[in-house]
Amino acid sequence: MPKSARAVLIPVLAVAACALALFFFLSENRESIKKAPAGSGSPAGGVEGRLDSRPKRTVTLLFLSEDSESLVPEEREIAADVPAVEARQIVAELIRGSQTGFLSAIPPETKLIQVYLDKEGTAFVDLSREFADRHPSGSSAEIATVYAVVDSLALNLKAVKKVFLLIDGEERETLAGHITLDHPILPDLSLVSGRQ
Amino acid sequence: MAKSFIRPRLIFRPVPALLAVFFAFAAPGPFLLSAADNAPPPAPLRNIVIDPGHGGLDVGAKGKFGTLEKDITLAISLKLKALIEKTMPFRVILTRDKDLDVSLGNRAAVANNNDAQVFFSIHANGSVRSKSHGAETFFMHINASDEETRKLAYLENSSSELDKRIADEAQDEVKMILWDMAQTAYVRQSQRLAEMVQEEINLELGLENRGIKQAAFKVLQGVACPAVLVEVAFISNPEEEQKLGDESFQQRLAESIHRGLVRYLKLFPQK
Repeated sequence: MPKSARAVLIPVLAVAACALALFFFLSENRESIKKAPAGSGSPAGGVEGRLDSRPKRTVTLLFLSEDSESLVPEEREIAADVPAVEARQIVAELIRGSQTGFLSAIPPETKLIQVYLDKEGTAFVDLSREFADRHPSGSSAEIATVYAVVDSLALNLKAVKKVFLLIDGEERETLAGHITLDHPILPDLSLVSGRQ
Repeated sequence: MAKSFIRPRLIFRPVPALLAVFFAFAAPGPFLLSAADNAPPPAPLRNIVIDPGHGGLDVGAKGKFGTLEKDITLAISLKLKALIEKTMPFRVILTRDKDLDVSLGNRAAVANNNDAQVFFSIHANGSVRSKSHGAETFFMHINASDEETRKLAYLENSSSELDKRIADEAQDEVKMILWDMAQTAYVRQSQRLAEMVQEEINLELGLENRGIKQAAFKVLQGVACPAVLVEVAFISNPEEEQKLGDESFQQRLAESIHRGLVRYLKLFPQK
């Protein structure tokens, strides 16, 4: 009896193990397939491929400078497109940082997930968790970060009236303990150098 | 446990912040009644709430030499509490009196449930620019969307009127928004308080006057009384970080905030 039981048990266990292995293998695969398109959203990834075929436009990006208490402008060329696509490029270029030695208000590890624009003029800027988790915290730093994004979008895009900053697709109470992120934020151009 | 809470002597002892928060929710009424032994109950002490920023896992901004915002805020808050209680007829309640995590919503709730007359949130600033320096006093920037502004207009009506005009199913939502935006009704007084506190700090430390600032601080949003957030100095500036660890510098900051409060209360005497 024990022998025949073992004879049955061993193949059953072997089959079960194979099935489990196969299941994990497949589910992992499925996940990586699911993640692939989202992950390849390296900031302007898809956008850049088409850059050459489109006319360019100059936009003003906002950074920080040791010599100024305001946000300082830096001009850059992006591909002219519909507002949502331009908004994506503006945020991607902000994350990329200054090309003239200004300080960036955005943690460089941040990844742009997506920018949506609704009919009422709210831009939903969805950023990876590093935007908040790698933030140095502090009121001035948080104000600078929030308005570098909000004002850069509002300065360049008439379609953007306010900006809702999302972290990994979700609302956050604050950026890093101080400034509220749970409402759409209106631009404040008084924080920009030369625009009182 | 509960009995010890109604003794006025309690105010000289540190109250565990968590218990204070819990108690504030559970029974705000009797908490305020002082019961001095063998004496008719005197007029209840009014409350001032001081909120030492951050705490626990939330360390706040960090300095180059390792100073943590949460430690500086608590040290200054304790000094300010002692000054107020020594010289003014107020009871001071702290949102935390040790290194504890307290949610931003609960910090505002401590003020509201204790009918605070004034709310101070004490912070140390952090900036990407290492040159940033000096003190800044903030009051709430109301960043209301159009829809919220419309709903807030109901504030001008009486509450019975309010009940009639809003469908039952919308009531909870509107009340939530009103609670969330409680600071809206106190912005002007908060601005005056911010001005006076900032002036006193500037005088004490010989800082140039850069005025007061407005920002959408989560911790101020739901506070239903005049409320300011004081950024006493920049922890991200190595020179100021060193000063912030100095007891006498902390004391000078506490004294100037206290002088600002005294001036404010002369202008807006208590109800």
